[in-house]
Amino acid sequence: MSPGAALAVLTSVVVAALLAAHTVSLAVIALVLALICLRARGRYAWVYVVGITISALTIFVLTPFVETLGSHPLWTGPVIPVVGQLDVTREELWSGAHGALRLAAFGLAFASYALLIDHDRLLGAASFARRFVLTVVLATRLAPTLERDARGLAESLRARGVEVHGLRGRGRLLSPLIGGSLERSLNLAEAMEARGFGRPGRTHVPAARWGAADRLACVGAAALIVVGALWL
Amino acid sequence: MALAKLESVSYSYPDADVPALDCVSLDIDPGEIVLVLGSSGSGKSTLLRALGGLVPHFHGGTFAGRVDVCGLDTRRCRPAELAGLTAFVFQDPDEQVVLNRVDRDVAFGLENIGVPAREIMPRALRALAAVGADELALRRTTELSGGELQRLCLAAALALAPRLLLLDEPTSQLDPAAAEDLLDLAVGLGRERGTAVVVSEHRPARALERADRVLFIERGRVIIDADVDHAEAWLRANRPEYVLPPPDADDLPSCAEVVCRLSRVTYAYGDRLAVRRRDLELRRGEIVALLGPNGSGKTTLAKLAAGLLEPQAGRVERRGRASLLLQDAGRHVVCDRVQDEVALSVGGDGTRARSALALVGLADKIKRHPRDLSSGERERLALAAVLVSDPDLLVLDEPTKGADPPRKRELATLLRTEAERRATLVVTHDVDFARAVADRCVDLTAARETAYV
Repeated sequence: MSPGAALAVLTSVVVAALLAAHTVSLAVIALVLALICLRARGRYAWVYVVGITISALTIFVLTPFVETLGSHPLWTGPVIPVVGQLDVTREELWSGAHGALRLAAFGLAFASYALLIDHDRLLGAASFARRFVLTVVLATRLAPTLERDARGLAESLRARGVEVHGLRGRGRLLSPLIGGSLERSLNLAEAMEARGFGRPGRTHVPAARWGAADRLACVGAAALIVVGALWL
Repeated sequence: MALAKLESVSYSYPDADVPALDCVSLDIDPGEIVLVLGSSGSGKSTLLRALGGLVPHFHGGTFAGRVDVCGLDTRRCRPAELAGLTAFVFQDPDEQVVLNRVDRDVAFGLENIGVPAREIMPRALRALAAVGADELALRRTTELSGGELQRLCLAAALALAPRLLLLDEPTSQLDPAAAEDLLDLAVGLGRERGTAVVVSEHRPARALERADRVLFIERGRVIIDADVDHAEAWLRANRPEYVLPPPDADDLPSCAEVVCRLSRVTYAYGDRLAVRRRDLELRRGEIVALLGPNGSGKTTLAKLAAGLLEPQAGRVERRGRASLLLQDAGRHVVCDRVQDEVALSVGGDGTRARSALALVGLADKIKRHPRDLSSGERERLALAAVLVSDPDLLVLDEPTKGADPPRKRELATLLRTEAERRATLVVTHDVDFARAVADRCVDLTAARETAYV
């Protein structure tokens, strides 16, 4: 499948997840996307899946404490100044699960885009807004680049006999990581300018023609949005 | 008629106290191979950037004078508009790759300059073949080694068929044979197509053999601009470290206890075997140089010796503390002040940090932010950060990368002075430096060992 068609399908999945009213539908969407993500080579798939799972669980755990919803309390806690009485109702849990699954679906769709779509071909296929597409493609590379830089920093410290332990130790790497990332982006921008980026009259490598599968995928994507709006 | 012309060019980077280029005037003719020499921070890279239009357009700052390239005034044309007439290979290949696949990255520049769509890929593939990297065409750029990335960057530059090729230390990550190949290639293609090549190099010997003309820059000024014979004579008289090999290492007292012993060690990254059944013994008081081509397992062996990796087979015995200076360690700074960065290795001991900084000539920079230092100063900072803990085993991975000849001599002297305190292992591509600093060399190409004393 061409990257353009694959992106259309992923976009439709995100739209369907945003429109879906039933928690079970969201769970199915998230599960399918998780399976697609795990097809990707390498360990980055696990990094994405674990990160998204932690974020979704956080939403699930916090929602009952910040929402006031429903009349079927499962647990009643103390009264906290300003916040009021803490309680957990069945409806709040359900709402938390809904929000968590929606976030998971969104995150997993992005992970599938980052891990499985050929970004070079996507850029080549973009017949308009190429600057925007290139920016998105470069931004997608940020996560693995930061991870590689973080490993380099930790290794460099270990080589000096300084161990990086715990959240505080890792937190200390954040500022140098951002500094390094800014430095890298400036160097890349300079190299791109020297290679003619931004000059008018740009051409591009001819993109492969869309096949029947690509057209079918686009029809399926449109159908998924309709189904999401009406039945999910 | 000159292909490029600089007329009284002066340039200062924003917030800089001294100019990076100071009243530079010169002409570059078509097909000319110009070697630019000078110490770190002397203005070599800035000169190349001025020729590519990146100075002042990209960096800002104060610019005076005029640079014409192929009849275009670089102050009126943006660097992107000069692309194709000029092509640039920067020092760090890792930071100039834009796309994920090798052939598409080479095609990126061709697309930007508007090469007809059907010609783009054939031209990209021809450029890759010209640098001997055609087998890399379908590889992911993130999987390439430093040497492979440098070939890719050269291919991307050559694909543009420029009239002026600007190479800023293009061989910094290559072993001697690969570096010679790459220079031969750039120079050969330059001569074949009439392309002028301006190359800045810290390992001048091989570039001197190929150049037509030499510029020596100091504090932004061109001190000498002459043909190779005259320039060599001038260098021999005034800057001998650029042309004469450094003196061989002096005898050291006989070696004593073994600080580190690697016995039949093996290590693989996934299914790629990096080190296979290697033996190595490092004694207190000796300096051992580890040589070998790109990909021969030097860095892996260094990491095994320092304890950063555990062998998958074989055994490593180590006595005392080991410290390793990684490649590009200057990039990995954590603290906001130079002194704190060094003190981090010794639990915040500022006194020891200041002594170590004085040892590497950075005593006056202790309050600066590490990212405000030049790249050469950052490498010295990284060296201070490993020396400060006074390790029993010191492992240095490519410590001369990007270092000018005087700096290499200083480093060799420092390591020799400190040698008795510890065992030292130096991984390097620089054979002259190895000869100057090491008691013996281990060449991983043929697992050959040479004693220098």
